Amino acid sequence: MSATTAQRRNRIWRYGSLLPAALLLIVLTIYPVFNLVGLSLSDVEWIDGRADTSFTGLDNFEQLFQHEPVYWAGVRNTIVFAVCAVTAQMIFGFAMALAARRASGFGRVALTTIFLMPIVIPPIVIGAMWRLLLGRDFGAVNTLLGYVGLGPVDFLGNPDVALASVIMVDIWHWTPFVFLLMLTGLESLDDEVFEAARFDVKTNWQELRYVTIPLMIPTILITAGLRIVLTFKVFDEVYLLTAGGPGTATEVINFSIYRTFFAQDRVGVGSAMSLLTLVAVAVLIVAVNLVIRARRKAKEIAE
Amino acid sequence: MSTLKTILGTTALSVLAGTSAQAAEIDMLINQSPWLNGFIAMVEEYEAQSDNTINLDVTPFGGMLEKTRNSVRGSDGRYDLIALNAAGMAEFYAGGFLEPLTNIDDGFALNENILTFGGSTGWDSEAGGFSEDGDLLGVPINGNVNVLYYRTDLYEDAGLDVPETWDALLSNAKALASDDVYGFVPRAARDSILYNFTPYIFSHGGSFFADPSAGDYNVTIASPEALAALETYIELANEAGPPNSGAVAQAELIQLMSTGRGAHAIAVVAAYPVLNDPNNSIVAGKIGTALIPAAEGHEHASAAGHWVAAVPRNVSDEAKSAALDFLDWFQAKEQQLYYVQSGGIPVRDDLADSAGDNPSFAFLPAFSGNAAVSHMNMPLPEGSQIKDAISLFLNQAVIGEITPTEALNQAADEMYRILTEAGYDIDEPSKL
Repeated sequence: MSATTAQRRNRIWRYGSLLPAALLLIVLTIYPVFNLVGLSLSDVEWIDGRADTSFTGLDNFEQLFQHEPVYWAGVRNTIVFAVCAVTAQMIFGFAMALAARRASGFGRVALTTIFLMPIVIPPIVIGAMWRLLLGRDFGAVNTLLGYVGLGPVDFLGNPDVALASVIMVDIWHWTPFVFLLMLTGLESLDDEVFEAARFDVKTNWQELRYVTIPLMIPTILITAGLRIVLTFKVFDEVYLLTAGGPGTATEVINFSIYRTFFAQDRVGVGSAMSLLTLVAVAVLIVAVNLVIRARRKAKEIAE
Repeated sequence: MSTLKTILGTTALSVLAGTSAQAAEIDMLINQSPWLNGFIAMVEEYEAQSDNTINLDVTPFGGMLEKTRNSVRGSDGRYDLIALNAAGMAEFYAGGFLEPLTNIDDGFALNENILTFGGSTGWDSEAGGFSEDGDLLGVPINGNVNVLYYRTDLYEDAGLDVPETWDALLSNAKALASDDVYGFVPRAARDSILYNFTPYIFSHGGSFFADPSAGDYNVTIASPEALAALETYIELANEAGPPNSGAVAQAELIQLMSTGRGAHAIAVVAAYPVLNDPNNSIVAGKIGTALIPAAEGHEHASAAGHWVAAVPRNVSDEAKSAALDFLDWFQAKEQQLYYVQSGGIPVRDDLADSAGDNPSFAFLPAFSGNAAVSHMNMPLPEGSQIKDAISLFLNQAVIGEITPTEALNQAADEMYRILTEAGYDIDEPSKL
């Protein structure tokens, strides 16, 4: 076999082996996005049992920016939700991972099992469970508060505390995810670095501040990025606990999209909302990637 | 001889097979609900009396719209019979997805005692609204309307009369309120407030639109009558209701009533079996039902939250005929009485005299009274969008974020914008 033939075969193999993955990507990811773009520039009406689709240009986006205050309330709440929930989850998850790593034997297994429990509970159960716990008249939390002379607190019905209550449930639900990634990150750190550092650091706090956290930065950034992106997808907790109310106190982006797209059957505006959210999340992912790359490059230069 | 037996046997089997081939299978989409068991009992009864069988696809309420749309919009429908709720009915009537029932059998007509809940069995395509004189598209299968619930034991102890007016209701609610009991439980959560506000606005002489049955969709929500209605709503919630009225949805309302924490509520009649079931309610047997009050000098009103069954266009003629056969059977008085006894909510107006002492039938007089004055609140295809817009403003008024006047003015603006964008030729609404 000549070198040219071998090169050609290699090329065919290279492209051929990529083909199934490329096809899957086109069918499952790229086509739906293009379809979404098309729908966001259209209006669909049903007349005499048939769809009448018309091109409307940027009308749906104009509608979105001028006449959808509920969506923008959802954007504001989602950002507050993401910042508060992810910050708390990162702090708690990291602290729990440190505790589990320092524990030994049975204690470690027990802690890991307990910490991971919320993440394996189905969202529908979490919604029902917390709705029962946080209810004003019959909730267990208010019953406990009553024993110490406090409350009742209207966790889900008071617009001033409803969003905080939903954030708290999200923190409870997703901190184990952060814990898991942090624990994996801590386990992969080189023990020799810690042994070497013992000559310089005097306290546990110094070890954490000057050795552990700097080494964990890549894991922390990736975890925080993942959690922020996932937080933008929050839906089930809001749907089950407050349905976006009272008023717009707990409205989030996905709930607005769901209501517009499915309940109101406004496919064009719903697609515009989805596309805008998709672009925002994509920009966020790119930004996180750029930060991670920049840090990696800076580290390589320093070495 | 044995050959002859075989031939005779084969012929007999062929005849039987031929007979059973005429029997039809009807696929029906229906929602999961407290009255489902009653409907299942009706289906079983129908199957016992007919060769046809009905396969029910029971779906949670939240998934009904999508399943219905997917089925009726395709070239071949998945369901031969679909249950449509009052809230989403107009979309399917106006979209041209349903077969007029007289096209299937030109002799078919609704029984004269069947309730039509504001003419919602037919659609007038020219006027663009519900009308009994339009194409007959649906047969009611559940007469869910709002009724007034009250605690009969508390009424007896306090020597009160069932209220006829909103003022009397407020007065009774205040009289019965205590540390353990809310005088009145409003349903004011954002997603369901419009349905419960409907009796208030109509019974104060107000309306959402000028005259929908004549195709006049001029917006009339920002009126002094509607303002009085909203103020009544808020007054009842604030002065006699729980502090979190703006978060009380149907589930919380039923929970508060069934645990004895509420003296009154306005809720769907379908809650009656639950509230009077000793396994679900500590006040079973102590819950009475009545006509919803009205403002002094105005007509009583209720909100239609009923269901109709309709036959999509995109199914076979055989399936359409079989579906219509079931609907025809369903409307008879005898079947409707059986339906009530099985836990269903009837759709006829002539059952109240059959109530007797049977506790299962005790809600029938209140049901008939409220059903006769029930209104469709959003009788147009854009109803879901308008409902979401108005509901937010009403909810914000209840929780004190905006004033009732602001709520109604903003609702009027939004309704006008949505309707004009959808192509309705209407005037700019008057404001408060």
